[in-house]
Amino acid sequence: MTATLSSPASKSRTAKVNLAKYRDQVLPPLVGIIGFLLVWQLCASTNLVRLPGPWDVWMDERSRYLILHPWYRNSDLDQGLLRQTLASLQRVAIGYCSAGLVGIAVGILVGSSVWINRALDPIFQFLRMVAPLAWVPIALAALQRNEPAALFVIFITSIWPILINTAVGVQQIPEDYINVSKVLKLSKMDFFFKVLLPSALPYMFTGLRIGIGLSWLAIIAAEIVMSGVPGIGFFIWDAYQQNYVTEIIVAVIYIGAVGLLLDRLMALLQSKIASR
Amino acid sequence: MSTLVNLEQVEKSFALPGGQEYLALKGIDLQIHQGEFVALIGHSGCGKSTLLNMVAGLSLPTGGIVALDGQTITAPGPDRMVVFQHYSLLPWLTVRQNIALAVNTVLRNYSPAERQQIIEEHIDLVGLRHAADKLPAQLSGGMKQRVAIARALALRPKVLLLDEPFGALDALTRGNLQEQLMRICEEHQMTTIMVTHDVDEAVLLSDRVVMLTNGPGSQIGNILNIDIPRPRRRLEVVNHPSYYSYRSEIIYFLNQQKRIKQWRARKAAVIARHGLEKINLDIGFVPLTACAPLVVAQEKGFFAKHGLEEVNLVRETSWRGIQDGISGGYLDAAQMPAGMPVWMSLGGGDNPPQPVVTALTLTRNGNAITLHKRFYEKGIHTLGQLKAHILDSPSQQLTFGVVHPSSMHNLLLRYWLAAGGIHPDRDVTLKTLPPAQMVANLTAGNIDGYCVGEPWNLRAALEGSGFTVATDLEIWLGHPGKVLGVREDWAKAYPNTHIALVKALLEACRYCEDPAHQEEIRELLSQRAYLSTDKSYIHLGDPHRITCDLDTPMREYAHHQFFLGAGNRPSRTEHLWMMTQMARWGDLPFPRNWVEILERVCQVGVFSTAARELGIDVSYQRQPIQLFDGIPFQGEDPVAYLNSLSIKHDIYMAEVALDRRPVLL
Repeated sequence: MTATLSSPASKSRTAKVNLAKYRDQVLPPLVGIIGFLLVWQLCASTNLVRLPGPWDVWMDERSRYLILHPWYRNSDLDQGLLRQTLASLQRVAIGYCSAGLVGIAVGILVGSSVWINRALDPIFQFLRMVAPLAWVPIALAALQRNEPAALFVIFITSIWPILINTAVGVQQIPEDYINVSKVLKLSKMDFFFKVLLPSALPYMFTGLRIGIGLSWLAIIAAEIVMSGVPGIGFFIWDAYQQNYVTEIIVAVIYIGAVGLLLDRLMALLQSKIASR
Repeated sequence: MSTLVNLEQVEKSFALPGGQEYLALKGIDLQIHQGEFVALIGHSGCGKSTLLNMVAGLSLPTGGIVALDGQTITAPGPDRMVVFQHYSLLPWLTVRQNIALAVNTVLRNYSPAERQQIIEEHIDLVGLRHAADKLPAQLSGGMKQRVAIARALALRPKVLLLDEPFGALDALTRGNLQEQLMRICEEHQMTTIMVTHDVDEAVLLSDRVVMLTNGPGSQIGNILNIDIPRPRRRLEVVNHPSYYSYRSEIIYFLNQQKRIKQWRARKAAVIARHGLEKINLDIGFVPLTACAPLVVAQEKGFFAKHGLEEVNLVRETSWRGIQDGISGGYLDAAQMPAGMPVWMSLGGGDNPPQPVVTALTLTRNGNAITLHKRFYEKGIHTLGQLKAHILDSPSQQLTFGVVHPSSMHNLLLRYWLAAGGIHPDRDVTLKTLPPAQMVANLTAGNIDGYCVGEPWNLRAALEGSGFTVATDLEIWLGHPGKVLGVREDWAKAYPNTHIALVKALLEACRYCEDPAHQEEIRELLSQRAYLSTDKSYIHLGDPHRITCDLDTPMREYAHHQFFLGAGNRPSRTEHLWMMTQMARWGDLPFPRNWVEILERVCQVGVFSTAARELGIDVSYQRQPIQLFDGIPFQGEDPVAYLNSLSIKHDIYMAEVALDRRPVLL
């Protein structure tokens, strides 16, 4: 009905709807950001905080170069910020994926056996409380080299939410589903793939989403401490050592943006796979 | 019909966190036949779901055997498919996939094409073709439950187990699903066990309703056969003549369970004081004008005067409640229909004999027979005219209401009908109803008349729905109406309390008899805690002022007699008469040991002691009973008397052993 009746009137109505949507959805964050930048600039120019304002960041030669040339490469440690970020992301990818695999596997095991749960839960709860930075010296002492130590820190930071959420998800499979599979005498395989996994999936994704945020936090901390590896964390540390505060600010914006992107990515994945 | 599911002495206990055990079910014996629909009903926590889960194999009994087709059930299996209250569909699978998962798992030895056919067939069976590819989240509650039923039926189970399947649905959907389920079960001859809270659902769907008592240690309290022909229709079933009696039977049971629970919760220790063994008494009564002595003894302090300081009057709506309260041990004493002590002692109502004794006749008279006003309009004003009317219209079976098999109303109505040549079981139908429901049933046309105590005859006359065709002035002037009854073991355990109780009530009877107190007593009785009715319906007896007629005074009002001195004495002759009448209509055997039973039921000694201590003259001379048909009852040779009657049921005789059994709580 509506398809055949697409008159100019209805078109203008959709345009109006779009405009309204733009006004309600896009305008407020824009106002917020501009307001924030203004306040920041104001604070900086009145010397309220001893930080360069946004205008200074843009006007500073070094930081402008960084903003405009994200992809240059002079040496291992002197690269564009996008390259630095990618190096960090690669580490996160390795550490996080292995945390995901191990976390889900152990989580299912813990969730399906009360005995194992009782045996391991206190250890997990204890280890979970250790901050990422505290793992750095232990990782360095144990693994001797920077690169594997950084990977380990990411792994150990992001595994806990994944593992614990998966375990809870398995424990929370509704009694009804279990009864149904008992009455139907579902095989172990069928039960795992047709009942357990789909039922625990939303919990797993909650864990994975928290995990990716944590691993991104951890990589920055790890790189700052472990100097000499390319990455955005080390870049910040290096800039601080040389007192290039505007560079730090640009890098921090990169970090925030990537963190936001990663979280949105996981949310998208979650809504695609685990929604029902 | 062969037994399919067999439960023998099934017991189930659960371990509690504190290391203790909770006994949920005990001594469950139940046989379920092929093709039968059985409902399990009971209060929350009575273990009905547990019972169902044991048949499903989801939980195993801690004692006894649960067997299907002779095989002990040890694990769940698809031959006992369960439909859970919350549907238990897998939310990530569509309707078809949900059914397919079950079919493909269970019917593995079928070819894929056959399985596909079964799946589609069952989607159609529950009418979900249009929603076959939808996810459960997109379906309404009723549709989800239909999927669950289709999934269960597709597996061709031997037994279908339903755990409150419609509990979470709205009333309209529930009704539709009930009809669908009924149709499917009938078509497939499905053996079904259903757990439900819903009394109407149980009556509508079931062949048998199994009622469970409250836990801990729930048992089968009663099994009701629902004898309503199939196919049944939800809207038509309610018109079946037995529907409401089935329904009220179940509701009575459930209410009783609730009350037992309350009673257990506040069960107080026996308090002895003033040389009495027990002064805290629960005394049962039914709201009738005849309960005046109990109300007066309570309100005017006669109980307290005789040391019974903590008396609690328990209002029961029916005599059945009094009977269960006495035999269940949660009433100490009760106002009873005159025949109840003998009836209970002889094991009336298929119960084991429960010796009950009486030491006081509380009231005499106060009863009448009411007929629907259309008889009056047709000019039927006497028994003879009624007989002629019944002869004229043989196709139309008249129904009369009585309050309890053991009440004088039942016995007098039967006697009255039989004296007029009407056989009370063949020519008319008698139905047991609580007193307070008589007028409503008469107005609704469910019954054509009744015999009941006041105020219900007067009320029908004043409301214009009926008229009094006979009062006890015309049947048996001065017949015993209500008596005080207690269990024999109670009387033996608390002899002084028993005497004090009789003294208090005898004084109250004397108070009631004084015309000067009438207004005050009417006021008391009309209170909410007692009759809760308008004062104009309550009259203690002024035979001239009050009539029970539609227009002009036609007959005298049968006024209550509360106090007659010797007349309050429990009379063996009268109880013997009642015993003969119960035997006459085949309700009970006539006991060969009638002398012993009368001796035990009528506690004349208690009465005499009480009267003497009150200084009341009770000198007494035995006399034959005079009834309106002129046949005197001597009480010398009851068997010869029974043989001399022309209209009667086959009479059988038996030795009734009155062993005192412990009261089970």
